[in-house]
Amino acid sequence: MQSIDELLTYCEKVAFDLNFAHAKNWKSQNEKRVIVGYLPIYVPREVIHASSGLPVGIMGVGDRKQIIKGDAYYQSYICHLPRGVIEMALDKNLDGFDGFLFPAICDCIRNLSGMYKLAHKGKFQRYFDYPQNFDPKIGGVFYIQEMEKVMDDIFNINGVRADVNSLNNSIRLYNINRRLIEAIYDIRQEFPWRLSAVETYHILRAGIAMPVEEHNEILKQVLDYIQTDRGEPMDNIRVVVSGSFCEQPPIGLIKSIEMAGCYIVDDDFMLGSRWILGDVEENTDDPLQALTNAYLYQSQFSSAYYDVGNPKGKRLVAQANKRGADGIIFSAASFCDPALLDRPEMQKECDEAGIPHINFQYHENTGQFKVIKEQAGTFSDSIKLWA
Amino acid sequence: MLQNMEEKTYTMGIDVGSNFIKLVLVDYDSQSKIIDKHTEKIRKRNPTQVADEMIQNMLNKHKLKYENIAYLASTGEGDLVKRKRGHFYGMTTHAKGANFFFPDGRTIVDMGALYVRAIKVSPDARVEDYKMTGQCASGSGQFVENISRYLGLSIEEVGDVSLQSDTPEVSSGICAVLAETDVINMVSRGISTPNIIKGIHISIANRIIKLLSSLKAESPIILTGGMALNKGMMQAIEEQLAESGKKFDIKTHPDAIYAGAIGAALWGGYRHFKLKEKQSMAV
Repeated sequence: MQSIDELLTYCEKVAFDLNFAHAKNWKSQNEKRVIVGYLPIYVPREVIHASSGLPVGIMGVGDRKQIIKGDAYYQSYICHLPRGVIEMALDKNLDGFDGFLFPAICDCIRNLSGMYKLAHKGKFQRYFDYPQNFDPKIGGVFYIQEMEKVMDDIFNINGVRADVNSLNNSIRLYNINRRLIEAIYDIRQEFPWRLSAVETYHILRAGIAMPVEEHNEILKQVLDYIQTDRGEPMDNIRVVVSGSFCEQPPIGLIKSIEMAGCYIVDDDFMLGSRWILGDVEENTDDPLQALTNAYLYQSQFSSAYYDVGNPKGKRLVAQANKRGADGIIFSAASFCDPALLDRPEMQKECDEAGIPHINFQYHENTGQFKVIKEQAGTFSDSIKLWA
Repeated sequence: MLQNMEEKTYTMGIDVGSNFIKLVLVDYDSQSKIIDKHTEKIRKRNPTQVADEMIQNMLNKHKLKYENIAYLASTGEGDLVKRKRGHFYGMTTHAKGANFFFPDGRTIVDMGALYVRAIKVSPDARVEDYKMTGQCASGSGQFVENISRYLGLSIEEVGDVSLQSDTPEVSSGICAVLAETDVINMVSRGISTPNIIKGIHISIANRIIKLLSSLKAESPIILTGGMALNKGMMQAIEEQLAESGKKFDIKTHPDAIYAGAIGAALWGGYRHFKLKEKQSMAV
């Protein structure tokens, strides 16, 4: 068993390897294996896993790669993430990937799928759409067809077709994964000093670049370690960070919030890994229907998805209350239309619920955190001293 | 050894600046008293280690253990302090520290190494508004220290030298690089050291006055931070205020450099009792 520090170092290394060497090494061990890259936020990874594939999350380049070519593809008023993702493709970081999924979350990602198609990156490039009609006979059927298209894409490459058994097995593994992640968040809710938000982020981000079986083992070990005290409790406020679901915040930003006196007790940084709330039915004759039901009825909320009859603002307030948060930090990527358009409505809900909040914007490669530290620091002080 | 240790509430505040670390030990109650204070220049040492040694030395000096400190609070670059219970933002602690020196103060000017900040506070030391100098370092203590070093002066000498000025030569107040170029030109033109230093002080004073104007500052104004003890700086501010027709009462305190650390220790004491109260309510 590795020490927690060794595990964290390993996770950080895997999480931020822009060449995805770990995933490519996994693929090289068997000719039937394929790597399918996906963009934020969520894809049903189970269908890829069940088809002898490794779903690999492509969360952008952060502050680890200078964007030169990518800027030529997008106007200045477009967020930073797609520039980095194009740059990675053009720099051959993603060579060895067999296909790419572009979940429907905004126009930038939609256009990115077209760019990958024109650039012939991967053997398939699919714009993965989601139902906006939550009637299972309409939206549900559509969603099953979307998943089947992905299974066909992979079958055309490796000749492996996912069946009921393999899908049930994949669902079981990802259920374990989600349960372990939630267990870590639950412990952090009570003892946030045992595992910092940055450490948690590294662990979750590593999970989208390695097989789920390996990630589950790491999560189990981390969970064991944080059952007992680690680190010293501080007199910090507890916050939920909301709005960072797609373009990921730089690690310096998460650190700055923590250093300013805030424990991040919940967030939407790696939302795709926590998208389905609770378990997906795992011993079923129709696993695709089970995945569809999970999407229709157990999805987490996000600005990038339709929320008929279940407003996001109310769900955010409920999340903050559940976590015992003192306040909410709205932290969105610059030019992120979904997050920024939703923000006023969500802030209104917070005001009505009496939950203090602040907001700021970032780029994935933001290097200056003084202002953010100042905002988070004064926010923390105002709650500690005057709330 | 301090008396009645079990009946007293001791708090510590540590303010980690870019040049100096300031530490205070406070006997916290309604009439809080500063028991001890210490400043250490970081020089080229590891600030975390310096802070740790300072805390340990002060504890040893008073025969106290870390456990005897109800709340050790950091401010400034607080993440460099390993042992602490909480952290408060610099503006919050300077407001409290200034309020401790002069409870009637409604505007605080914190003159630190990297920037100057004007803060409007309520009677109970709550920050109501603030303005600070921008990115450029020409309005900061570090800039004054750099210039004094170029001119062969120690930072302690700068204030007295400035007071000897008769015809100050004002440098650029916008950019530290331009101001340094100005100073090089002044030296080559044979301008005396006191006139150069006074000119620098006037340039910073003008920036402070601009901050005060945009903040709609109220008198009295309390100066805190390392530069607040610089007599030449004080004089320049008073003169420039008089020249601009603004009537402000300016006050500073011999312990002005400790304002952040004192504020941290006092807010720490406040939090200690608030948390205790919360805990007892939960039981």
